[in-house]
Amino acid sequence: MRMTDMQDDDLDRLLAAAAAAPARPSDDLMRRVLADALAQQPQPPVLQAGPVAVRPGLLSRIAAALGGGPVLAGLGTAAVFGLALGYLSPATLDYLTGATADAAEFFPDADFLTTEG
Amino acid sequence: MAFDAGDETSDEALMVLYANGDRQAALALTRRVTPRVLAYAARLLSGDRAEAEDVAQETMLRLWKVAPQWRQGETKVTTWAFRVATNLCIDRQRARGRRRQLALEDAPEVAYAAPGAEGRLQAAGRLAALEAALARLPDRQRQAVVLRHLEGMTNPEIAAIMEIGIEAVESLTARGKRALAALLAGRKEALGYEDDGHAG
Repeated sequence: MRMTDMQDDDLDRLLAAAAAAPARPSDDLMRRVLADALAQQPQPPVLQAGPVAVRPGLLSRIAAALGGGPVLAGLGTAAVFGLALGYLSPATLDYLTGATADAAEFFPDADFLTTEG
Repeated sequence: MAFDAGDETSDEALMVLYANGDRQAALALTRRVTPRVLAYAARLLSGDRAEAEDVAQETMLRLWKVAPQWRQGETKVTTWAFRVATNLCIDRQRARGRRRQLALEDAPEVAYAAPGAEGRLQAAGRLAALEAALARLPDRQRQAVVLRHLEGMTNPEIAAIMEIGIEAVESLTARGKRALAALLAGRKEALGYEDDGHAG
């Protein structure tokens, strides 16, 4: 280095001062850069709303286990008919069915089982 | 989540967030990287502010476009951006067919014309003289000196930016500093260095 050159320390200090005073971007430049950024930014995938899964209730699950609506309808009919049979007197049943009260004798020869002597 | 220049989130992580659609990451990267690229481009283009802004915007635009393919760990965002800015500046210098030759004498004389206003004015005069001297350096020396001493890059980073070897970086930096010292030597007294007790 020639004697007339700057000292290294002086130059280093000058460079450090310059490093601490960089050109500042204008607001307009920052706006343009940010606008580019947002325009170029990949968009996150849009989540499509699928059909809402409805959790079946307890009764629905029981009905499904038994076989569904038609089976339940049959069961209901049978239950109602069973109740009717239980409440109606045998005479009414005979009336309904057109049968006589003593028409049904399944074991006509079984009297000896209850006859003494 | 908001990011700012002081946030610990790395630039590289912000790139990934940006590519995933995070708008705050876009803002944070803009705030962090744009000023540095602009300052660098302004010095490479010898203070041509309008061209430096164009280079900064173009560099950032390329950064946004490369984001979806960005792979963390391969390179730093600033290294990538400075490399792009370097090439853009070289292209512009070639396109205009000349390099702006700022004579050292073109530096503002305000600091020397106002001997009573020392301090801030003298500092401004020194910086202007430095910028003018930088503008007179050969392009590669100027790039190396600016990256090393003004942008604080390491020699391996500068080597990656300039796409040369580390030894070449060291040589360019050393020659650039010597040239700067020689260019500023004739202005020592005017710049007030004798007052600092370092007159040589």
